[in-house]
Parts: sequence; C-alpha cells; structure tokens
Amino acid sequence: MSSSLPTVYILFLAILVGSAGWFGTPKGPNQTLIRTSILLTLACTYLMWMVTYLAQVHPLESPRLGVQE
Amino acid sequence: MGDEYPTLFRSEQMSLVQLIVPTEVAHDTIAELGELGNVQFKDLNPDVNPFQRSFVGEIRRIDEMARRVRFFASQIEKEKEPIPIRPLYDSAPLVTVGPRAAQTLDELDVKLAEHEERLTQMNDSYQLLSERLRELVEARHVLRETAQFFEQAAVRETEVRTSLDDSSAPLLQHDDREQQFGGGDLQFDLEFVAGTIDRARLSTFERVLWRVLRGNLYMNYIDIQEPFVDPATGAETRKNVFIIFAHGDILLSKIRKVAESMGATIYPIDVNPDKRADSMREVTGRLEDLQIVLYNTGANRRTELMTIGESLASWQDVVAKEKLIYETLNLLNYDVRRKTLIAEGWCPTRDISQIQLALRHATEESGTNVPPILHELRTNRTPPTFHRTNKFTEGFQTIMDAYGIATYQEVNPGLFAVITFPFLFAVMFGDIGHGFIIFTAAVVMILSERKLAKADLGEIFGTFFFGRYIILLMGLFSIYTGFLYNDIFSKSLHLFHSGWDVNNGTAVSNGHTYPFGIDPAWHGAENGLLFTNSYKMKMSIVLGVIHMTFAVCLQVPNHIRFKRFSDIYTNFIPQMIFLQSIFGYLVICIIYKWTVDWDKASTQPPSLLNMLISMVLSPGSVDPESQLYPGQSTVQVILLLLAAVCVPWLLITKPYLQWQEMKKIQGQGYIGLGADDVPRHTDDTTLEGEEEGNGRAVVEANDEEHEEHDFSEVVVHQVIHTIEFCLGCVSHTASYLRLWALSLAHAQLSEVLWDMTLSNVLGMPGLVGIVALVIVGVLWLVLTISILCVMEGLSAFLHALRLHWVEANSKHYEAGGYQFVPLSFARLNEKQ
Repeated sequence: MSSSLPTVYILFLAILVGSAGWFGTPKGPNQTLIRTSILLTLACTYLMWMVTYLAQVHPLESPRLGVQE
Repeated sequence: MGDEYPTLFRSEQMSLVQLIVPTEVAHDTIAELGELGNVQFKDLNPDVNPFQRSFVGEIRRIDEMARRVRFFASQIEKEKEPIPIRPLYDSAPLVTVGPRAAQTLDELDVKLAEHEERLTQMNDSYQLLSERLRELVEARHVLRETAQFFEQAAVRETEVRTSLDDSSAPLLQHDDREQQFGGGDLQFDLEFVAGTIDRARLSTFERVLWRVLRGNLYMNYIDIQEPFVDPATGAETRKNVFIIFAHGDILLSKIRKVAESMGATIYPIDVNPDKRADSMREVTGRLEDLQIVLYNTGANRRTELMTIGESLASWQDVVAKEKLIYETLNLLNYDVRRKTLIAEGWCPTRDISQIQLALRHATEESGTNVPPILHELRTNRTPPTFHRTNKFTEGFQTIMDAYGIATYQEVNPGLFAVITFPFLFAVMFGDIGHGFIIFTAAVVMILSERKLAKADLGEIFGTFFFGRYIILLMGLFSIYTGFLYNDIFSKSLHLFHSGWDVNNGTAVSNGHTYPFGIDPAWHGAENGLLFTNSYKMKMSIVLGVIHMTFAVCLQVPNHIRFKRFSDIYTNFIPQMIFLQSIFGYLVICIIYKWTVDWDKASTQPPSLLNMLISMVLSPGSVDPESQLYPGQSTVQVILLLLAAVCVPWLLITKPYLQWQEMKKIQGQGYIGLGADDVPRHTDDTTLEGEEEGNGRAVVEANDEEHEEHDFSEVVVHQVIHTIEFCLGCVSHTASYLRLWALSLAHAQLSEVLWDMTLSNVLGMPGLVGIVALVIVGVLWLVLTISILCVMEGLSAFLHALRLHWVEANSKHYEAGGYQFVPLSFARLNEKQ
C-alpha cells in the first residue's frame, strides 16, 4: 500500500547527512561556502523529490494510454 | 578578527589606512601595492585641477609614449599579412622599479621616439612613391589610348584628302598651301589636349566644354579598365582617357582651364609618333624603377614592424602601469616640510600585514633605508564592499552584483545563489540528456582553463567561459531534475517497478509508488499533461513560497548586525506572518491534499485554487461537501484576520517608533543635526593646518549623508515598503509559476524535435535506413544543441536570474554599497 511515510524517513536521512556535512567540514577559507552548499543542496533535492513522490502516492487520475503502434 | 576566515556571508571588514611615504620610495611603493592589488586609494586633492597636480609632467611624457605605442599597434593592425606580436607572458620583463628605473624609462622613451620617426618617414616616402606610381600609370594609359586616336584620325585624314582632290580647282590652291605648312603625311592642323578624368565627371565635363566652346571641338574618350586604388583610404576610382581637338590658342587655353577646374589631369602628348614611342619607353622604364623602390620600401617597413612587434606587448604593459602609478601618485597629498607623500585608502583588515610586507619590500628594492609608515584611522565613512571570491564563486557573485553591490557587511545573496540559482535553472530545464550535454561543455572549458584564460576569446565565448562553473552546476542539477521528471531526450527511463499495471491501454494502480521521479507509465499517455501540469504547478508554488520565506528570513542577520532590533518586530515578523498565513497555508494544503487517499475519503477532493479564492472572497463559508479538513472555515478566518492585522502593523509601527524617538530628542533640547557642524569643522581644519603643517589626514567626517529625520519621508517610505511587500507576495508567488511554464515548454520542444526527426527514421530498413539515420541524426543533434541547450538554456538562465533578483532580493537585499576597486595591475590586463 503506497503511503507518504517514506518522505519522513528520507527527511531524517537528509537531516543526518546535513549534520554530518556541517560538523565534518574542515576549517578553512571555504568552510562557510561548503557548509552552505551542502545544506542547500540537500534541502533543494529533498524538497523536489518529496513533492514528486507525494504527487504520485494517491493519484487522482490514472494514465489513459492511447492505442500503441 | 584576523584569525577568523573571511566568508562570503558578509562583505569583508575594511579599514581606512594612512600611508606616509618618503618621496624617493613613492614610485616603487605604489608599484608594489599595484602588484598586490589590495588598496583602494582615496583622492586627497579633490579640488585640484588635473593640470595642476604634481606629477603632470611625468604623465604627459607617458601619454606621449602611450600615443606612440598606440600608433605602432594601429600600423601593425593595418598590415594585410599579420605581423606576430610576442605575447606578454613570453616577453622579457622591463624593470621599472629600483634604482635604475628612471634610466630604463628614459631609454624606452628614446627608443620609442626613434621607432616612430623611422616609421613615419617610411610611411611618407611610401605614400609619395605611390602617388608618383599612379601618375606614371595614368600617363602610360594616356599614351596608349591616344596612340589609337591618332592612328584612326590619320586613316580618315588620308581619305579626306583624296576626296577633296576631285572638287573645284581654285580651292585646291588653298589645300596645297595648307599642306606645305604642315610637314609630313600625317600632319594635323588641329591642336589637342589630352589627359585623364574621373568617369563620374566625364559627362559634365563634355557638356561644359560644349557650351563654353560652342561646339567647336572634337572630343573622344575611352575607359581605363583597371580602377585606381587610393593607398591611404583604399577607395577605388575609375578614370577615362580623353583627347580634345580644337583650333586656336584661346580655345585651347579655355579647354585647359575647364579641365583643371573639373579635376582632370592633363598630360603632354607629342604629335609625332616617334616622340610618343620614346615617351612610352621612358614612362615604362620609370615605372619599373619605381616599383622596385616601392617594393624595397615596403619590405623595410615590414622588417621594422616585425622588430616592433617583438616588444610591443611589454611596452604597452609598462606604459599602462606607469600611467596608473603616476595617476595614483597624483592622488596623494604632498607634505612640504617633511618631504613625504601622504596616502589614504581602504584595504581589507586581514590584508594589512601583507601590505606592510609589500612596503618593506619596496624600500629594499629601491635601496633606501626609510620605510613607509602605515597606520589605521578611525572614521565614520562607509567602507567599500569587498567579497573575497575565488575562481569558483566569482561567477555567482558577479551575477548577483549585477543587480546591485551589497551594502557594507550586509548578508550576501551570492553565497546562497551558488546552489539555488543552478537549482531553479534545473527545475526549468530538467532533462538528463541536455543536462549531460551542458555538463560536458562546462567540463571541457574547465579542463582547458589555463590555456583559455590567456587567449582572447571574443565577447560571446568569453562570457560563457567566465560562467563555466555556473554552467557546471547547472548541468549537474539538470541531470538530477531530469531523473525526477524522467525525461532523457524526450524519452522515459524505466529504472524501477512502475506503479501502474497496463493492460490494453488502461492502467490500474497497483499500490506501488515509483520511488524516484515520475512514473514512466505517464510517458505517452493521453492525459499525461494533465498530471504533469498539476504536479509541476504545485511544485512551483511550493518551491517559490519556500524560497521567498528563506529570503525574508535573511533580513534577520542584517537587523541584528546593524543593531536595528526594532526592525525585527516591526518589519520581519509582520511580513513573515502575512506570507505564511496565506501562502504558507496554501503550501500546507497542497502537501496535505497529496497525503490523503481520496478514494477512501468521505468528501470529494476540492480544487485548491477555488479554495484559496473563496478563502479571501467569502471567508468563513466552506461547503462541507468540498472541504479539505474539518474545521476549515474557522482556521481560514483566523488566518485571514492575521494577515489583515499585519498590514496596519507593517504600516504604522515603525514610523510610530521613529516619531517617539524624535520627540524624545527634541524634548531634551537638541536642535536637528547638521545645522551647527559645518562651520565648526572648517575651524578645526584650519587650526590643524596651522599646528602641523599642511600634510595631515583629512578625515572628512562631515561628508556623510545626514539621516533625514524628516518624518514625512519616513512615513512615505514605510507606505511604499508595505504596499510593495503585500502586493509583491501575491504577484511573486504567481511569478514562480514560470518554473512550470518553462519546463513544460522544454519538454514539449524536446518531444516535437524527436517526433519530427528521429522517430520517422528509426524504423527504416536497409542501406537507405542507415544513410537516413545518419543524416537525420546529425540534424537532430545540431538542433538539440542549438535550440534545446543553447536557446532554452539562455532562457532558463534568464528566468532563474530574474527570480533571484526580483522575487528573492526584494525581500531582504538593500544593495546600497559601492564596489571595492583596488589599484591593481592585474585588472589593467583584464580591462584591455
């Protein structure tokens, strides 16, 4: 049965990876840049995946395939 | 503060520094600082006429040298066969600092003058010789053509004479007598004028002559086939040879005058054919000689230019650097008593130790013992904004700076744009194949970075090269969104188990959700667009509201840093509540509606758009048949009231607080700022001048723009701000729908391209099929790259940039700063 729960699991995974990235970045002139980039990338990619997944969990219509050649 | 690394989050801390430089070391110090590129010098002599500044003489000399170098460059450019210029990184360096600097510069000056003189001499003589050549060529033409006339006329003359012999006897006597005066068979009794004229002027010439001489002339002309090319301008002129026969000196002189006025050239032609043959030979001989001389002059000139080409790049570099150094020296203040120059400038606080090293280095180079002194000054002026970027972040920072330079120490949107810009681009561009193409292009540019950086790439390709890291990230994110949209060159990938079981054209849900991306069952479905449009529109709204929320939150670090704590609850909190109560609510509803299994629910799935509209137009009345969740009407009324409260909150609180403060200041008996300060300040400066000589730092604390405590301005500003924000919320949220629109357009274009090209050719059998496949395949590839990657890429780039500039920046970005422009020789090369 399809459910929306996987989005929550992946959210936890993303938070975990984000924390690892935050604390694991070495000090240096690019620390802020790397941290910001990692967190933003995780946020953007997770968001888009989550939206795509949720849109298909309980679809309101089914694909009507035309006559295939 | 020096042990913390600078980040892109805010601009760097800058200090105002004062340099006291002994005059002997001044030139070398500025040269060293220019190489370092860390100091922006202030003009300490703002009211001095440029012609009265101290180093005007040196600048004039350098300008002369620069003019000569430009002259050489233009001469080299004009050559038809290119002359190689040795590039700068290959040339031997000319040392212009240190004890021998003045001598080197003098030698260079002399050398440039010599080269110029030689070159101009050669140019002049070449010009002269070319002129002479042209005249000789014309003379040769005239000789040749007129020879024809004479031959023709001679033939006719004999005919005429024979016919006259048969007429009445008494007239013959006259003929005989006249024959005696001429000598020889081919003697004429008509004189002539011969020469060349412009073809355009010919008809006018004829007409004028006809009128002046009343028809008493015989004119013949013939075209010269080859056009004459003017060496200076390259313009072509076509000429004709003419010969005019007339009788009598007066007529002939009239003809000559008219010819001269019309711009014709007259050549002396002899009647006698032998003499004509002699002139022809002489002209041909002179022509040959002249051509040899011309060729030699040309060869000499070319060798001279080659020698110049060897050193031209280093000369240009030295001249430009020296000019910059002297212009900077002009900005400094000269202290007569202590014989030092005083400089003031901005530099990043972190780099002060570097600058001190450079100063010491300069003293060592020049061989003196007196080092320049550097100390920091305290000031109220706003420093310039400096973001320390590397080759990766440079591109992103530039595109955000194009909107406006950040206020000093404001939160820098460029840091976040490193990821959000390529991401929003990719949402509009999503296709694995196209993403891969632009990713590869970026990788190629990056791998050959060193070589391409030195070459002159031209404007268009240079711009693409400048943004190579942006393109790299755009490609990577596009591949990701391509996987999510499940689109590779308009085909779908079937990586996991689909969520639909298809039998005979009907699809039945099997309870499994395609785990990554859009289910491939939708590919080619009749109602595929119905699903993807709904999905993409909702995604655009979700991403848009989250992006705008993030941008509003960026206000808070600014308020804290600039100690405007009241702004947090007069601006930030009402803005946040307004945004979230309507659009944040919409996002939550979208996500909630997706999580509900409507097959098992008791109500029909409501249209979210209608729900939002009716929330605003008829709050409190939600039809239970089409409600999203129980209790919806109450919640919506509360949210609407919250939003409504935020508008006067935004409008009134901040002006009220400012008004209170003004009252408090006035109550304490102070007059408004600015009235008394001006006369006091000038007294101070004159006093200082008397005490310490004229060379002291002029810290203009009074140049600051006074804060307008005019209350009406504050109110107007806040009204504009409120209206802009509230209306902006609605329009910007809708504006994010372009994420949907462009990705739809991209997908459709991609599909159309495939359907019209490759899909027709893939089934063809045999050799014809293979040939057709190759041809159409190449066509498909060219169109994919040019239309789908370049054109759509530029379009998505522009729209993603617009989303950042307008929708995001308007929520937090002040952009009131000015760019830090240090004295830097590296920048010189960039400008060239």
